[in-house]
Amino acid sequence: MGFREKSSLFRMDQPEKGRKFMADKKRSEMAIKHEFKSYRDITSMHVSLGNMLYNKTGSWRFIKPIYEDKIPACQNACPAGNDIEGWVKLLNNMEYEKAYWHLKREEPFPAILGRVCFKFCEDACNRAVLDDCISIKELERFVGDQFAPTIPHPELPENDSQSHKIGHLAVVGSGPSGMSAAYFARLLGFEVTIFDKEALLGGMLRLGIPGYRLPGQVVAAEFEGLSNMGIELRPNTEIGKDIPMETLTTTFDYVFLATGAHRSLSMELTENSSCCRIMSALTFLKQVARGETVALGKRVVVIGGGNTAIDAARTAIRMGCQATVIYRRSMTEMPAHPEEVREAEEEGVIFRFLAAPEDIALHADATIEKLVCCEMELGPADESGRCRPIRKEGVTFDIPADTILMAIGEKPDFEYLSRRIPTTDTIIHTQEDFSVSSDYPAGAKVFAGGDITDIPHTVVHAIASGKRAAIAMDCDRRGVLFSDVLNRIRIGTGTAVSFSKYMNWAPVNPVQRNDQNVVDSTKIVYDYFIKTPGFEKSIQPADLRKDSFEPYHATLSGEEAIHETARCLHCGRCTECDNCLIFCPDVSILDRTRETFGYAIDYDYCKGCGICFTECPRHAITMVSEG
Amino acid sequence: MKKAIKGNHAVSYGVKLSKVGVISAYPITPQTTIVEELSEMCASGDLDARFIKVESEHSAMAALIGAATTGVRTFTATSGNGLLLMHEVLHWTAGARLPIVMANVNRAVSGVWNIWAEQTDSLAQRDTGWIQIYCESSQELLDGVIMAYKLAEKVMLPVMIAYDAFFLSHTTEIVDIPDADLVDRFIPPYVPPVSLNFDDPRMFGGFFATDYFYEHRYTLQQASRETLECYPEVCREFHRVFGREYDLVETYRTEDAEVILVTAGAITSVSRIAIDKLRDKGESVGLMKLRMFRPVPVDCWREVLGKAGKVVVIDRNLSVGLGGVFASEIRSALYASTHRPPIYSVVAGLGGRDVTPEDVEGILNHVLAHDKPSDEPLFWGLKQ
Repeated sequence: MGFREKSSLFRMDQPEKGRKFMADKKRSEMAIKHEFKSYRDITSMHVSLGNMLYNKTGSWRFIKPIYEDKIPACQNACPAGNDIEGWVKLLNNMEYEKAYWHLKREEPFPAILGRVCFKFCEDACNRAVLDDCISIKELERFVGDQFAPTIPHPELPENDSQSHKIGHLAVVGSGPSGMSAAYFARLLGFEVTIFDKEALLGGMLRLGIPGYRLPGQVVAAEFEGLSNMGIELRPNTEIGKDIPMETLTTTFDYVFLATGAHRSLSMELTENSSCCRIMSALTFLKQVARGETVALGKRVVVIGGGNTAIDAARTAIRMGCQATVIYRRSMTEMPAHPEEVREAEEEGVIFRFLAAPEDIALHADATIEKLVCCEMELGPADESGRCRPIRKEGVTFDIPADTILMAIGEKPDFEYLSRRIPTTDTIIHTQEDFSVSSDYPAGAKVFAGGDITDIPHTVVHAIASGKRAAIAMDCDRRGVLFSDVLNRIRIGTGTAVSFSKYMNWAPVNPVQRNDQNVVDSTKIVYDYFIKTPGFEKSIQPADLRKDSFEPYHATLSGEEAIHETARCLHCGRCTECDNCLIFCPDVSILDRTRETFGYAIDYDYCKGCGICFTECPRHAITMVSEG
Repeated sequence: MKKAIKGNHAVSYGVKLSKVGVISAYPITPQTTIVEELSEMCASGDLDARFIKVESEHSAMAALIGAATTGVRTFTATSGNGLLLMHEVLHWTAGARLPIVMANVNRAVSGVWNIWAEQTDSLAQRDTGWIQIYCESSQELLDGVIMAYKLAEKVMLPVMIAYDAFFLSHTTEIVDIPDADLVDRFIPPYVPPVSLNFDDPRMFGGFFATDYFYEHRYTLQQASRETLECYPEVCREFHRVFGREYDLVETYRTEDAEVILVTAGAITSVSRIAIDKLRDKGESVGLMKLRMFRPVPVDCWREVLGKAGKVVVIDRNLSVGLGGVFASEIRSALYASTHRPPIYSVVAGLGGRDVTPEDVEGILNHVLAHDKPSDEPLFWGLKQ
């Protein structure tokens, strides 16, 4: 048969493509005029007489697939932009050491966050639609526990080989925000000194979080690691007392303030507030952490509904006391993490909801007799969105108590700044790069992070702020605007930035990646995944764990970890499953070779049908419109 | 080697011996056991073929169109409703001149559900350009598949092997399975007239406008008619190699027969018994078994039936509003003959209703007793 000119081969509404088509055709050898004289000239199989190379059927396309990795929902939910999918993949390949260092690129302290993180990632995990979310926190702990933080850091720059100015950074406060800023700044070539007024470094991690949730030695080991990286540690050194703030601003190029919120709020419930058995829950936790003796008596009442209240109550239980938490709203409104609340209940902590303290009755010897509480009811929602508690006037009840712990919130202490940095009662105002305006006479640029800034008060948010500030300080010393860099390093739709992106480190999948495109569950093709529930987390029973400050559940075993990693859907990340390759009707997904990862798309022949996009189980292909 | 196997498995063995490279199918009763057996052969490595699972019969045939275009030997099997779903692509296969072989297990087509024997499904595909061969025994099935490849690749037309649901598909018979070497010699590897070449890409199945489409259809008609010349050659060669004889039709005691009965498929076997019985009683009756139905072997039919006083056609099928399809086609074929015997059209056994030797005897007695056929087809065994 003969090839016939086909005007139908291009879209009439795309004259440009049509003209190009005809031009190509004229140039080709195929522009043969062939006339059949008889039916006998028609061969059996109907094939064109000439070759069709000129006819790039890709010209019919008006939308095209793009092969690009994206941001999984878990990574998007992580304030630190932890590349969870990346290290989970490495872990699944049993490449433990690679997984460890990959994890630390965005989140330097896996042994810590693997124990105490509020796991925003798991709440966002797309696997939950199918069965259970991946136990990312447990996996992170597993990775963190595989290696001592003291092993040499492979990505640490050598100071003397740096062409740029080194930069001296003082970090005030050794909590998660300060640790993070110090870690990342050190990787960027800064010389870093961490100051902390406490003998035990780690801020809230060490002093506020009880050992059964985060053992002190885990925190201590991280500081050994930081010290091994060449970071100078100055415990027992209070800025504003041992060293004036002005000295820091004159001797350092950068100062990062991460002093946290350690000043407990209090309420006047008795004229005799000097009574030693009425104290802040945080002070109590710190005393226990330092190993000091605290006399509690038998009955402890904790006022408040946050994590500090829960930590204090559970610590009291471990010291052999009865503990009651009173909270003026209901369980639903409680700011404490639900898992912590559930475990506290299991251990025997009594919760009295809709109760507000009104008075503390004392014995004649000025010891506490009881806490008088007023019953509350919930009114309409207030500006925080939670129901406002309203007193039921005159309806009171008593809770017998020997010790009363106040856990109604903490505030920062800005005394040491001598009002040279503008603050409110609760925060220092920072820019998007966490820089702070100050009127110190000389030198240092000041940044701030963690609980003294306007971010959620969690460990992972603190770590994220330290990372962002370290990058911002590096930009500053290089004379680059942070705002110009921000778009390049931003991860997902939240506030997370990527240190890897800033350093131009290659992702685990060496393919193009769109870091703003988040893959949520609507984009996952669940038909391709088999239901496999997560492992049963083995927690020590409450009656065993409530007598001990030891952690009450073990790090995952290797088998458990691999079971979990195998469940990862790898949202938005190509796993070379070959679905696109198999389904492409135009043979336009080009096979990987042994040397390179992933696929290429042959746009000469891809007609933009979108089957690869539809059949990709994990949304590693996007369709974009053309022309 | 002789083996007791079911009719469907005889097809599977035929496919295996024909060294088919791509099989694509969608399951449907009563066909399923053919491809089940084949998929096991593929899995065990007994058959070096790619088995493509698809989501419908339409896709099964579409997949084979692609595969056959690359120059590989291909096979699929279906039945009843599955065949109807393929209808569009059946036209394409023939038009594109792809030598695909398909087994169709004749199954009643639904209004109400029925999975038993009836030939209406394949007869509804008679205008698609496919060669159609109706078989009666398991041996004929196995041999038929092998011959089908030989024929298809000679004339570049697809071949459908049709046979009765359950009566044949699920009945065990002794089958002589030929040596693979002999089959290899009979059908050497398929060499397509055109092969795909990535460095020299061509367009397949392109566009024919009004100026040549007509000629294209004519070439299809030519090819189909040429089949009638090629087929006896294929049969002769098959006979030489394997010792078994097949032809466009098969006759039984027709030489001097006054009444010739025409059947296709499994009814033929019971009809032989009835013929023998009536012959014993002194009646002059014979039997012609239809094998090839498309293309229509007009000359052959005229030669066998042109001498008969009466022709009876039993149709296990119904062209609604007309009657039996075979009767109608035979009537047209004989119309131009010098001698035009009256055609008695009998519709029997629809939806798998058993047609026994007694039924056939009854039908023949009815014909012997009536000088003229009725205007309407006779619905034999109808519950009145």
